Amino acid sequence: MTNRSYLLPETLEEVTKLLDEYGPEILVMAGGTLAMPLINEGVSTPEIVLGLKRAKLNYLRKSNGIFVVGATTSLTQMTEQSDIPVLREAANAVGGWAIRNMGTIGGNLFAPPPGGDFAVALLALDAELKFVGKNGARVMPLDEFYTGFLTNRMVPGEILSEVILPIPKGSSAFIKYGRRHTNTPSIVAVAINIVFDGDMVEEARVALNAVGPHPFRAKRVEAYLQGKALKEEVALEAAELATTEIEPFTDPIASEWYRRKMVPVIVKRALERLIA
Amino acid sequence: MQAKIINLTLNGKNIDVMVSPMTTLQVLLRENLGYTATKIGCRQGSCGSCTVLINGEPMMSCLLPVEDVAGQDVVTLEGLMVDGELHAIQETFFETFAIQCGYCTPGMIMVSKALLDKNPYPSREEVINALAGNYCRCTGYEPIIQAVIESAKRMNSVGN
Amino acid sequence: MSTETLNVVGKSKLRRDGLGHVTGKTIYVNDINFPDMLTLKMVRSPVPHANLKGIDFSEAEKVTGFVRALTYEDVPKNIYTILTLIGVGPDEEMVLAEDKVRYIGEPIAAIVAETEESAMEAVSRVRLDLEELPAVFDVEDALKPDAPILKDWGTNYFVYEGHHCRRVRFGDVEKGFQQAQFIIEDCYQTTPIEHAPSETTGCIAKPEADGRITVYTNTQALFFTLDNTAIILQVPFQKLHLVGGTVGGGFGGKVDVIVEPIATLAAMKTNRPVKYVFSRQEEMQASSSRGAWRMYFKDGVMKDGRIIARQITTYADSGAYNRHTPYAVTKHAANIAGPYRIPNVWIDAHCVYTNRQPGSAMRGFGVTPASFALEMQMDKIADQVGLDPWAIRFINAYQNGDMKPHRKIVEDATLIEVMQAAAEMVGHDLPEEYKSMSSWARKED
Repeated sequence: MTNRSYLLPETLEEVTKLLDEYGPEILVMAGGTLAMPLINEGVSTPEIVLGLKRAKLNYLRKSNGIFVVGATTSLTQMTEQSDIPVLREAANAVGGWAIRNMGTIGGNLFAPPPGGDFAVALLALDAELKFVGKNGARVMPLDEFYTGFLTNRMVPGEILSEVILPIPKGSSAFIKYGRRHTNTPSIVAVAINIVFDGDMVEEARVALNAVGPHPFRAKRVEAYLQGKALKEEVALEAAELATTEIEPFTDPIASEWYRRKMVPVIVKRALERLIA
Repeated sequence: MQAKIINLTLNGKNIDVMVSPMTTLQVLLRENLGYTATKIGCRQGSCGSCTVLINGEPMMSCLLPVEDVAGQDVVTLEGLMVDGELHAIQETFFETFAIQCGYCTPGMIMVSKALLDKNPYPSREEVINALAGNYCRCTGYEPIIQAVIESAKRMNSVGN
Repeated sequence: MSTETLNVVGKSKLRRDGLGHVTGKTIYVNDINFPDMLTLKMVRSPVPHANLKGIDFSEAEKVTGFVRALTYEDVPKNIYTILTLIGVGPDEEMVLAEDKVRYIGEPIAAIVAETEESAMEAVSRVRLDLEELPAVFDVEDALKPDAPILKDWGTNYFVYEGHHCRRVRFGDVEKGFQQAQFIIEDCYQTTPIEHAPSETTGCIAKPEADGRITVYTNTQALFFTLDNTAIILQVPFQKLHLVGGTVGGGFGGKVDVIVEPIATLAAMKTNRPVKYVFSRQEEMQASSSRGAWRMYFKDGVMKDGRIIARQITTYADSGAYNRHTPYAVTKHAANIAGPYRIPNVWIDAHCVYTNRQPGSAMRGFGVTPASFALEMQMDKIADQVGLDPWAIRFINAYQNGDMKPHRKIVEDATLIEVMQAAAEMVGHDLPEEYKSMSSWARKED
């Protein structure tokens, strides 16, 4: 433990080189809001910690209708950008001020549910993830990233370097329901993005968190909404349909029963915000 | 691995410290330097009692390796007094009974300072959102919220 | 005495410790460090109920910085009985576990090491030989004939002078139920509540050159702690010097003498200062809570709102050990019928053991759960009988000179006056007959 090394590479290339050199024994840490609690409690005892704070992965770029966010961009920085309002809302829903200053959007993707709410906004916006390893880079839709509770499609030697989003069309809504007004783990979090043609739903994305092993899109709900005029009854029906796609769990925050009860309520509320 | 020498500015003073890797700022302040105003409440980043300001931004010192504040400006509660005089926020908390056991107080005051330095006229909602990462088990929060609003008034009336 | 001579009463005085708090100069236990200080971390039971067959320290001893381990064999008097000095037993909780553990988090062995890190590392390498036993987590399950028994005397309840619970028998509730026009029954349940103070429980024990030991502690009860520590360590009381009074949140959670005896023992054995401070996890999961309570009410009520019979059966979840719960149950039994004049009252208040975190003091424990249940029941009665919640309480309020169910005369009744003042403050207009009532004038029977 006192033999621990804290490596702070200054380029992405150095990062991938170190990952390759040290292999799986390395712990990768960005803001530290997930890793440090485990290290402080002695739950995690890594010999080598690779810190990303100096690797210049902290940026927001816009070009040709694409928004690119570096993986170590802080949640506070996301609350301060005005290009994508729903990302501002979703970032504001994570933790308190100090945690948002330290936590990163990349790191948040690895937070175990009921944490990791920022991903619902990214899912609703068809975000893609870029991974870089010593053999090059690849891009994957966020929708395909998660495979289970704390498991995903990253491979050893890779680092998440950035999140890519088309500048969204349509209207978004984001609601995080927790036991407290703010700085609270979720009972259920939902993000919705709808591209309208008049009052008709041309395309819908509905994403949920804290009611399954990872953030996910409720695709039955999306399919149901497509081609329909978004009215009260449609919103109600869609919200009820959401309960068929969830796998809620019981934890100290809420019981499975309660999560199941609240999903249709919160989904309906989010949809109602988008009714013209 | 060997200990490193890190240079940083602490409460206005430029210092060099020697730490083994991954030593947190919380440990550096409290054990190495004897600045114990920054508290330990959870070491999870949940309670806020370890809040310090890094370049004016609130951060949890329990989650922050010292290497990550190299070359940065660190301010703790010990750095708030000006020429031996209480900062307006300290004075207000004291005079309006926004304190009981005092354990959350350093964190609360540091976040309040960060807020009022950025936003001299915060709404009640903004005060609440700023303090959301800090736990108090004694006061029920209302006296603290009121103290921040009152501090803003006092700071603005002196033309800060 | 005229008010002109008063300098403090009636005046707002700023807190004596206020400047310390706002400048960060107030010193809490964990802010104190001494040269050559050791850190103590506790090995705790990972299971709720088990026979402890053995402990293997061999891997822990290899950790750099390991100094020594302490087990029950090192403790001169290995019994922690919080109210032993006023003769309240029984002696049943160990300072360190001997042959059995009864809750997750129960202290088994203390590891003393050069640094906090090495102490935590060494604790994680201690191997326990535990033979798990069936566990019980529900108060009523704990009283069933097939329940696993926690206590050496063969029951899962505290014995109150030969009885299985605290009993109050006043009048004849069965006759009352027969006369009543309404029977209103319900069950009320509180959950355990953790104090969760901002500052965790902790102390530092420091051997002094003159042979005494100074113990810096955040206990709420310095003398209590001194006495119990001296008894456990079998040393004269004057050997210990306790320094404290600065408590970063107590709420009753720092009245158990839970860190000082073992830290002081470690200081005596190593002749070095020893710091023992709970981690946040220990504070939340191993330290005492306000125990849960389950309360069954059955009331016989007349249609004019008078409660003529009240039968209450309650179960306090004491967790694995007694601590303050038997005392709390006594207070509870004396209060749960409420500040009401009821001619027939029957109460069975049990103090039950389960394999859960021991309950202990917290802000009116014993009476706060009782108030919750009792007043919910009063509102329910009002609803069923068709009266408003004010009326049901004025009608039933006791007055000075009445007899309480546990046979004490009411001398300090204030419910009527408090309700009158509250009604006025919220702008609720009471009927004249309630406005003119008083705790001092007897109602018409």
